[in-house]
Amino acid sequence: MIPAFGQALVLLGLLACAVGVPVGYYAGASRSSRALEWTRRLTLVFATTMTAATLLMVWALLRHDFSVSYVAQVGSLATPTHITIVSLWSSLDGSILFWGFVLGGFAAAVAMLQRSGHEDYLGYTLATTLAVGVFFCFLIAGPANPFRATPPPIPIDGPGPNALLQNHVLMIVHPPMLYLGYVGMTIPFAMAVAALLRGQLGPTWLRPLRAWLLIPTGFLTVGIMLGGWWSYEVLGWGGYWAWDPVENASFLPWLTAVAAVHSALVLERRGTLKAWTVILVLVSFLLTLLGTFLTRSGVVNSVHSFTQSPIGPLFLSFLALCLVGVVLLLALRLDRLGSEPGTSPLASRETGFLLNNLLLVAFTFTVLVGTLFPIVAEAVKGVKVSVGEPYFNRMAVPICFALLALMGIGPSLPWGRAEPAKLRRALLLPIPAALLGAVIAYLFGGRSGYVLWAAALGGYAVWVAVDQGLRPIRARHRGGRGNPSGLRSTLRVVGGYVVHIGVIVTFVAIAISANYQESAEATLRPGEQLEIADFELTFGAVEVDRQPHRTAQKASIGIRRDGADTGTLEPALNFYDTMREPLGTPAVRTTLVRDLYLTVMNVGADGSIGLRAIVTPAVSWIWIGVLVMGLGTVLCLVGAKPSARSAA
Amino acid sequence: MALVVGGLISLPLIVLLALGFRSDPRSIESPLLGLPAPSFELEDLEGRTVRLDELRGRPVVLNFWATWCQPCIVEHPVLIRTAERWAGRAHFFGVIYHDERSKIERFLRERGEWGPTLVDPGSDVAIRYGVYGAPETFILDGSGIVRHKVAGAMRPSELERLLAEVS
Amino acid sequence: MRPVIGAAGPLATALLAIGFVATLVGGPIMALQAELDPAELELLGAPAGAPLSGLELVTKTNEVAGLMRCPVCQGLSVADSPMDPAQAMKRKIERLLAAGYSEEQVLSFFETSYGEFIRLSPKPEGFNLVVWLLPLAMLALGIALVARRVRAAPQDAPSGEELAAYRERVRRELGS
Repeated sequence: MIPAFGQALVLLGLLACAVGVPVGYYAGASRSSRALEWTRRLTLVFATTMTAATLLMVWALLRHDFSVSYVAQVGSLATPTHITIVSLWSSLDGSILFWGFVLGGFAAAVAMLQRSGHEDYLGYTLATTLAVGVFFCFLIAGPANPFRATPPPIPIDGPGPNALLQNHVLMIVHPPMLYLGYVGMTIPFAMAVAALLRGQLGPTWLRPLRAWLLIPTGFLTVGIMLGGWWSYEVLGWGGYWAWDPVENASFLPWLTAVAAVHSALVLERRGTLKAWTVILVLVSFLLTLLGTFLTRSGVVNSVHSFTQSPIGPLFLSFLALCLVGVVLLLALRLDRLGSEPGTSPLASRETGFLLNNLLLVAFTFTVLVGTLFPIVAEAVKGVKVSVGEPYFNRMAVPICFALLALMGIGPSLPWGRAEPAKLRRALLLPIPAALLGAVIAYLFGGRSGYVLWAAALGGYAVWVAVDQGLRPIRARHRGGRGNPSGLRSTLRVVGGYVVHIGVIVTFVAIAISANYQESAEATLRPGEQLEIADFELTFGAVEVDRQPHRTAQKASIGIRRDGADTGTLEPALNFYDTMREPLGTPAVRTTLVRDLYLTVMNVGADGSIGLRAIVTPAVSWIWIGVLVMGLGTVLCLVGAKPSARSAA
Repeated sequence: MALVVGGLISLPLIVLLALGFRSDPRSIESPLLGLPAPSFELEDLEGRTVRLDELRGRPVVLNFWATWCQPCIVEHPVLIRTAERWAGRAHFFGVIYHDERSKIERFLRERGEWGPTLVDPGSDVAIRYGVYGAPETFILDGSGIVRHKVAGAMRPSELERLLAEVS
Repeated sequence: MRPVIGAAGPLATALLAIGFVATLVGGPIMALQAELDPAELELLGAPAGAPLSGLELVTKTNEVAGLMRCPVCQGLSVADSPMDPAQAMKRKIERLLAAGYSEEQVLSFFETSYGEFIRLSPKPEGFNLVVWLLPLAMLALGIALVARRVRAAPQDAPSGEELAAYRERVRRELGS
């Protein structure tokens, strides 16, 4: 019953997309408002069917209806309800359905919210979005169909979702955030395609683009951070970023999207970098496809990969199709966007933006080369080669420092050519803040060059961000109060610099945590101690906690500091019925200054444990910094959205 | 111009990703193939010393395994059968890969033995053979050269074929 | 208590604590050094560096372990991985460093059995140079492109006032 109904919904969605594509392109080419209205309706049909199919799947999961193939694959009577809902995206087929749902949501949002302010492009934009929809509906209807009927006999219970995903609450929020970022990148892509097809870039293109580009970028920012936080809380090695191919895959589109956000600012101010901005937006989408391909195909070695699946080749074909389409489109239409005068004086904000784009693209290229090199090397040398953390750190750290420096210098430069005296003042004024940053870092015990430089450059950039961010507010105080569009543009500027401050906080926190991590390991019998930093850890006993879907062996560790008892932590080893090897659940005591992180590596037959203790300073500031980035993005969006609608 | 640049970037990329399908990310070719096997001197569970250098003349099967590894359990009967068939024509040794002696002994009591099980303290031998996980099987020919490495559980026919090849 | 390894951060307090721990471990390491197999010694050749001990040994062990892939993990280094095989490799690295073998000697020792895959960062030689140099080439190209734009800027580009007027015009055109 549910399988048939679900498949019918998906097929209806596929039909709506397939019809919507030509209708939308016709609407774009002929500027027929009737055709546009029909495209809109078909978009809403697509969104509705995807939503209904997803809700149906959630319902099937909650009812443990094992006649549905996906439920039989990931469902289990023993799994707690909230994990059951999450198992919607715990495996390949369900995650593709969820993908379709998110795409439908974005498409419908564009169709509804951009009724005005984007008319010239909307037909093309929706048609391109629906074309992507055709591919995903096809996957859901065929190769990755979660609604297949389970061949009899229908099981009475299932294996439950991947244990790694059940192990932590962050798994409930991390994948959807990342999906919202990945899938959301379809919209700016569709808009860029629309601009090329239309052959022009007007304000009714740029303003919606800004908003629809910021949304997925913000989701990606938070999604990537939640992924890092999850691996920190779950994987038990005390780190948050390992330059794993799949982590890189999510980082790549983020880098180009951030570059596009900046180049769009130049486009808005100066009317230059048109083609470049379009290319960055197109590439961001292609990189999300590449990322999905790498995750789903099993081509690279990664913790996050779904197992080798038949949709790998399909994804590659789709990626190739998009790539070829994009290249052809660029070749045929890029000239139409107009040639640009595009020059910029050396010490100007324009040059700052150019360097920003240069660094971000070089960063993207480096990460891409590093991620794909193992495949190249194997093809050329026939030998497997690893490209891991030491490579990426060596390459990325200088780029990050250059970006941090630029974040201070760029915004302090004026647009266009400036008088040397003014320039000198703008550049020298924040130097005390840089010194202050370095001194504070020194006083807190920072001796490593990385940390001192990060603090100094960070201090400089924070000063500039605060100064620049407050400028429009000060201007509003002097006059021009009450103009709502003024308020919006103020919010945009403030939001942008709030994001900068978040980036700086994150960067400095990463520098500190990477340079001052301490760890110690020991095999402890009950009553024995391990010392790390100024903590004295005493192992009590292992307690066995039997839960329906797993058995947890919890070790109680008493913590003393400066001779005073400061409570206990209970790192655990979880044994899932469906997995042979246990999964650790580290116990973390987080403070704003430093984290104490305990992992049980093994539990011996004699009741002893292998304990690893890690003390990392400033980790929580990484998450805080990223949340500040998310907040700043929201401010930018609040500033951007209403004007997008009032343009008609 | 854009067409040329775009083509130059995108076509190799697609070809490259397609090439990725051909390789199994989990199989890593051992650099020891064709070279003399790293020698070792280990004790088995009964305390008898085994020296690899003294085993020349017959093929040697060296299987790194543990009780926590599912494929090892699958492979166990295959090894028992093959070792029986090749008795007197090849040497079979298990090497404990990061496991507790008591668990290994219980496992062998329950499921039967197929050859001496060597204890590898400090995992020195596993490191010298470049073991990436369990099970991994190295097949040495009569002159002590490493001829094959198999990662993961072997099918009965596979082990037969490889042994026939080196003897 | 049997501390196996401590990662050193240069914080003074950490140094003291770990230094203390490392001295405790110092004894057993000396004993282990003698245990290197003759075949291993032949493979390794003569030690190219000075024997390390104490804090220096702990720091260097972690550094070298950070350059090697944990064989049973996905992309984690030996230094980061809590898994048993990685721990065993770390102890081996420690022993080799204590005996005076250099970083490169230790890495090639593991490479002879595990293959190039064990190095987390490709050795910059031969074809591997591509992964190191290509990004630099790309960066150089980018710098050249930016430099062309900057150099092309006319000397009498808009001053502050002209710019303000321009900005006003753009704002009007964009209608925001």
